[in-house]
Amino acid sequence: MQKINKNVILALLSLTSLVFLLFQLYNYKFYLSKNGAVFSKVRGSQSGQHSTRWHVVRKFLGLISSHNIPVYLIDPLILGLVDKDIEQIRSSSDVPSPECKYFCAPRDFTTFALLDKTWKHEIGLFRTAEKMGFQWLKIINKDPRLDGIDDLSGIEIPLHYIFKLSSHAIHLVVFYERSGNYLWHGPLRLKQHMDRKFVPFQKLHFGRYPGAYEKPELLLVSIDDLKVQIPKNPSSFLEEMSHSRFLECRYREAQAFVQLYPDDASLDVVEFRKRAKSLLHLAALILNSLGVKFWLSSGTCLGWYRQCNVIPYSKDVDLGVFIRDYKADIIPAFQKAGLPLKHKFGKVEDSLELSFQGEDDVKLDIFFFYEEDDHIWNGGTQAKSGKKFKYLFPKFTLCWTEFIELKVHVPCETLQYVETNYGPDWKVPVKMWDWKSSPYNVQYSGVWPVDEWDDVIQIY
Amino acid sequence: MDEWNPNPAVKPHKKRSWYLAWKYKLMNQRALRKLCQTGAVLFLLVTVIVNIKLILDTRRAAYEEEEEYAQDYDDEVLNVEVARHPVSNKKILDVEVYSSRSKVYVAVDGTTVLEDEAREQGRGIHVIVLNQATGHVMAKRVFDTYSPHEDEAMVLFLNMVARGRILIFTIKDEGSFHLKDTAKNVLKSLGSQVAPFLSWRDMWTFVGKKGGEVYGEKHTKSPALSTWGDPVLLKTEVHLTSVEDAECHWPDTELNRRRKRFCSKVEGYGSVCSCKDPTPIEFNPDPLKDNKVFNVPVAVIAGNRPNYLYRMLRSLLSAQGVNPQMITVFIDGYYEEPMDVVELFGLSGIQHTPISIKNARVSQHYKASLTATFNLFPDAKFAVVLEEDLDISVDFFSFLSQSIHLLEEDESLYCISAWNDQGYEHTAEDPSLLYRVETMPGLGWVLRKSLYKDELEPKWPTPEKLWDWDMWMRMPEQRKGRECIIPDISRSYHFGIVGLNMNGYFHEAYFKKHKFNTVPNVQLKNVGSLRKDAYETEIHRLLGEAEVLDHSKNPCEDSFVPDTEGRVYVMFIRMEQEADFTTWTQLAKCLHIWDLDVRGNHKGLWRIFRKKNHFLVVGVPASPYSSKKPSSVTPIYIEPPAKEEGAAAVPAVPAAEQT
Repeated sequence: MQKINKNVILALLSLTSLVFLLFQLYNYKFYLSKNGAVFSKVRGSQSGQHSTRWHVVRKFLGLISSHNIPVYLIDPLILGLVDKDIEQIRSSSDVPSPECKYFCAPRDFTTFALLDKTWKHEIGLFRTAEKMGFQWLKIINKDPRLDGIDDLSGIEIPLHYIFKLSSHAIHLVVFYERSGNYLWHGPLRLKQHMDRKFVPFQKLHFGRYPGAYEKPELLLVSIDDLKVQIPKNPSSFLEEMSHSRFLECRYREAQAFVQLYPDDASLDVVEFRKRAKSLLHLAALILNSLGVKFWLSSGTCLGWYRQCNVIPYSKDVDLGVFIRDYKADIIPAFQKAGLPLKHKFGKVEDSLELSFQGEDDVKLDIFFFYEEDDHIWNGGTQAKSGKKFKYLFPKFTLCWTEFIELKVHVPCETLQYVETNYGPDWKVPVKMWDWKSSPYNVQYSGVWPVDEWDDVIQIY
Repeated sequence: MDEWNPNPAVKPHKKRSWYLAWKYKLMNQRALRKLCQTGAVLFLLVTVIVNIKLILDTRRAAYEEEEEYAQDYDDEVLNVEVARHPVSNKKILDVEVYSSRSKVYVAVDGTTVLEDEAREQGRGIHVIVLNQATGHVMAKRVFDTYSPHEDEAMVLFLNMVARGRILIFTIKDEGSFHLKDTAKNVLKSLGSQVAPFLSWRDMWTFVGKKGGEVYGEKHTKSPALSTWGDPVLLKTEVHLTSVEDAECHWPDTELNRRRKRFCSKVEGYGSVCSCKDPTPIEFNPDPLKDNKVFNVPVAVIAGNRPNYLYRMLRSLLSAQGVNPQMITVFIDGYYEEPMDVVELFGLSGIQHTPISIKNARVSQHYKASLTATFNLFPDAKFAVVLEEDLDISVDFFSFLSQSIHLLEEDESLYCISAWNDQGYEHTAEDPSLLYRVETMPGLGWVLRKSLYKDELEPKWPTPEKLWDWDMWMRMPEQRKGRECIIPDISRSYHFGIVGLNMNGYFHEAYFKKHKFNTVPNVQLKNVGSLRKDAYETEIHRLLGEAEVLDHSKNPCEDSFVPDTEGRVYVMFIRMEQEADFTTWTQLAKCLHIWDLDVRGNHKGLWRIFRKKNHFLVVGVPASPYSSKKPSSVTPIYIEPPAKEEGAAAVPAVPAAEQT
């Protein structure tokens, strides 16, 4: 009897399990179909799907050209494909293409860019779009260009548009020109009342973060029989896109800081800030032309993060550069631009640091950073004793920001960077600063061998 | 699954017996039984695992999606829509109107839309206009009809209100002293029976529809000259009409949609809202050839004077070469009506929260506006700065387009201004002539970005310093000896009467007679000669050719200048050192030009026109041009009047402010 019972129980269990399995399967399927109602994963009619995408893009291009709105293609998927055949595409302009190679590639979106100042926000565009069958969504948000200004309540500006037609959608990213001669696009954030299911937003290529870009040179090409503008050099655009993340300065916190510690507006400070600004602009020009990636470091970075300005009592401008980006041309390039080398400490293999003399006592320090497995460090050298110091930082990546009318890099993990360097009390201004003892992350790391001094301690 | 199916070959006659038979069979086949058991266990295990995996998958998918929305794509700030006024479907409005010596109020459906019990303020007739379909307040005005001319303004206003609107009137203190018959007749035509007989210190309330029925009127007579009528409270009901009836039927275009929104919200803008032939809100003036200022941003600094702003923007948008996309209106405060005006013209407007009082507030508003302008237009090297109480000349942009290169090339320039402080009807003549002056006139001017970013912005006066921004900009620490370019005939006209430092008398005396260019496309003369060194050559040439006037005559007399046209005359006045303007101020006073402080000078030289002749005034010996004085001529000295007398002559206004 026992054996029979065992069997019955086994059978019952298996049955329940089976039922449950079926239920789960149904559930999963239901979920998938709900999720991808528009963007069905089912590849039923591949060719039909293909041509749908092409048709939507064609319709969209027709729509915007009828309103004289110049957009350009920034879709990473298509630009990736285009880039492979770029030579051929550049040369053959009006030859009908035999197959739909680019705009039919499987994807949910096609992304275009629009320069804000090139159109007038006419509502007519959307009326026409609706007549053509497009559904559209506009994502607006605060204008960051007005964020740094006390109590200005600007109009909200459009940051993204999405035009949806049948199973394909066009993502139109609006780019704004900002102080520092660069283009900026905003993050895509949905407001409370918005339709979260309008399109699968998480699949968009732009909008997770705000981004900063150079003004691109454009090229009018014909791909898949559609005339469209693309960045002249798609591969460099794609490369730029991969680290385009932009951080806004913390204007509100900066205002709070100024309320707590009123800004010094004496003539000396005004003059110093002006010189620091022009020195930073010059340094950026030189380093960018050499292709050396740099970021705001030490006091300059703190000034940006804490008060969105140059710290009035600092005496220099500090930049960081990864040692892998070091180029021997750096020193001559600065000298040629009228910034003589003031001192050079360390060597490429260890603790390199360059100092250039700007006009009127403002100094430019370039610290070179060395990457280890779990941290990054830069070195310091005391000239008279040959003592070496090390400043340790947790690993970081670089983001763009805007600082005194310049598009410039800062560590994305800025708080961590500043805290490591200045300790938890970084919000309190410290006027007496000793680079050998004040930093929170300084470590004594021995003395340079005397026979190397001539090489590693050069003062001019 | 198959093992659980009965063998189709076996045909059981009874379920129970089939089961038993089967069981028996299984029991007899141990091997098979074992196999079945293991299979079942295995299957159980597999289904359990698959089940768990599926549950996890579904959950992850669901979670991921929510996560994505929640974390990345949600606006961190809760954007709770501000609750709008509940649109009541009620067809009847309860209106309460109160009139008394010291207080007036108007309540619509229990909401107070007007309340004024301030002392020494708000005297006269208060008028409120309601939308006949929604009951929203469209305009609120007070006309101090105790004082002269205010009744004319009221008539003007009432005539502009569209037919069908609901008008509410109430008197505070006194409203009849200067209420002339014309105004009384207009009120009568609105249906008031009392208005024609309103007299000294009567209290009066009236609610009626323009061109329609009267909803109520109450009135008390003042019993004696020294007392006021008893307070009056009028309670009445107003029947609302449908929205359709309250709107005009303009063709459905983008422009008319803007017009419709504007006209259903505010009143008092006249023909822009008339149903038949409304005045245009798009002007499309001729473009300028080779326009050098097409991409220069224009910042319009505004307060809460929407009617002024309306007039100003009309003239600005009608100027040749205007680029509406470059215009931003900065409104000092959260005022709705100025913003409505901005939107009517399809321009962009930005509001600025007031942070401090009076002059400092204006100054902080200027700073925020200028910073914002250069942020919004990072490519711009210049910005045009305008105020809401200016008319803009038709050739304003043409004037700037021809002269802006000077600002780019000449470091000794501070600004280009459209305003000549000394350019009155009787002292300005030549629309193609430009001057260099050591003062900064403002009132429509061009600011260089580098000047602002490098010099002015970093040390702009902080709010606690109650400084006028323009006075601050004129201080030597800021100006540093640089000069402004101005035209002989102004390209802007200051029409503002109600302002921070403005009153009717002041405006009448100093601004009304200002000359304003109305000629389009004026070709400026010899712009290159405005450069620092070239200008000196030009002045020496002028002085060389100038005839010295008879210094024995009274320079205030008309006969001082001969009855000629197109000649150049020079006179010499006493000016002991650079800051000695005693004689100049007296001369300016008798010539009826700007005398509240010194304006329009260039190295001790003033240039104006008298009787259509170019008239030069040189201060001797402070001016470097003194050398041109013939030795026989004694510079004229005019004694300033004695102190008391002077105080009486100068109006009691803060000196020289032009806000």
